[in-house]
Amino acid sequence: MDFLLQGLLKAIELLTTGDAETFSAVYATLIVSAYSLAVTLIIGLPLGFCLGYFDFTVKKQVRVVVDTLLSLPTVFIGLLVYAFFTNRGPLGEWGLLFTLPGIAVGLTILALPIVIALSATAIESMDRQLRVALISLGANRRQLFLSTLWEARLSILAAALTAYGRVMTEVGIAMMVGGNIKWQTRTITTAIALETNKGEFAMGIALGLVLLLIAFGVNVSVSSLRKRY
Amino acid sequence: MRIGRLEIPTGCIVGVIGPNGSGKSTFLRLAGFVEKPTAGEIAYNGKPAAPFSPEVRHKVSLMSQEPFLMKRTVLNNVAYGLRIRNDLDRLEQRVHAALVLVGLDAKEFVKRPSYALSGGEAQRVALAARLILKPEVLLLDEPTASIDALSAQLIKDAALKAQRDWGTTLIIASHDWQWLYGVCDRVVHLVRGRLMGSGRENIIFGPWEPGENGLWSKVLSDGQRILVQKPPEALSAAVIDHAFIVPADQPFLDGETQVRLTGLITRLALEKASGDIVGSVLVANIPFTAALTENQVLENGLYPGRRVHLLYDVNSVRWF
Repeated sequence: MDFLLQGLLKAIELLTTGDAETFSAVYATLIVSAYSLAVTLIIGLPLGFCLGYFDFTVKKQVRVVVDTLLSLPTVFIGLLVYAFFTNRGPLGEWGLLFTLPGIAVGLTILALPIVIALSATAIESMDRQLRVALISLGANRRQLFLSTLWEARLSILAAALTAYGRVMTEVGIAMMVGGNIKWQTRTITTAIALETNKGEFAMGIALGLVLLLIAFGVNVSVSSLRKRY
Repeated sequence: MRIGRLEIPTGCIVGVIGPNGSGKSTFLRLAGFVEKPTAGEIAYNGKPAAPFSPEVRHKVSLMSQEPFLMKRTVLNNVAYGLRIRNDLDRLEQRVHAALVLVGLDAKEFVKRPSYALSGGEAQRVALAARLILKPEVLLLDEPTASIDALSAQLIKDAALKAQRDWGTTLIIASHDWQWLYGVCDRVVHLVRGRLMGSGRENIIFGPWEPGENGLWSKVLSDGQRILVQKPPEALSAAVIDHAFIVPADQPFLDGETQVRLTGLITRLALEKASGDIVGSVLVANIPFTAALTENQVLENGLYPGRRVHLLYDVNSVRWF
């Protein structure tokens, strides 16, 4: 069990000495998770709002599809994105394979169903009187949309956090689409996988603790935002 | 719901009465341009309008039975309508004035979160959020239901003040028909989604069962029978437009087609529009209404608690 303690000490050392390789992986992780979360929220929130707010004929079927996509295997997403971005693939000329934006695309596909499903549930569970109240006070369609999202802000924040946690700790997509290239596309999770394969458990644990620290920091920030609003 | 044609003149007060489930809230949501009718159209100032139409969006406001306040402070709830209109001039002062109008101490309430309000306070804040907009039409759905007497009175006063000061047209759905008859220029009666008339009609729901002399009847809990001609269906609703009240201890002649029921006067209310007194008589567990003149009330000593006969002509009953 010594390697657990060694891992803890190594983590402190890596962070306090500003180890370049570690910070490169941290940077890559933060970049891909931030990009993918931003795109996911921009696309996912309106779709989740529509799914939760409106009644349409195939709503139940769409809901089943979105819920099914929640359990989409990450290696399958990685395989699909790889197939599209490889030189022979339909989007090969974009040159996104083995790049951070390429990983972000895969992570967006992973996070999108989470944000759509959870925000749709949040909107669905809102009091129906909210719509009546907002229209009665003179809201137009855009104001209705924004005010409804604002009223559901805590649930939507929870959806965003869930998605963020999922993309930040993802390894399959980052490995397949990013290629785990040192200084380039190596994220914390792919670095942990590599270190474990090399038998460097302490280093793996250290990186795992760094990941945990980032997650803790994000949650503390969000928690203070919740208190404020 | 089938409304047919209904015109509401500008600046008047219209009351909507009807039993639970009669469609009062649906009617108000349609008239408040919150929902679109499945057929037909609703016009505002002569022009057809729909939810989100610019003609109505900033002019018509509905307050639902259960006031919905957003998860914000009282200030932000009341100021919401002005903010989305980008009308930010003297915002806080106007919020204070609106809160005072509904009888709330602005200093005490303005920073309070909506979840820290009682039912009556929340209802008053919801009304303040509408009054601050000085709407041309204000629709109130059961504004005084399930709140304390003081809040109810403050809400009534504030709504009437808006009508007096700004010429706001008021459309009010309420079970408090005594209040409605007292303040409304017109009262409409909504039953099973249809407009019935002035609100004085007595509507008796089936089932009806065949009885003697070709008449059908509904037996009340105290054994009395409401008699009618053969209904179109056993579950049809009978409408008794005109019923008369006479003291139970005074002699009178029964007519051949006259039906007599006995009950207690429970309420007397003045109808603002006609100047008539509207009496409510409880027969078994069914409330009946009948119009009375001042003389009838005085000469016959009709007052709440008095035992009376309620008379109607069996041939005058119509079906609904």
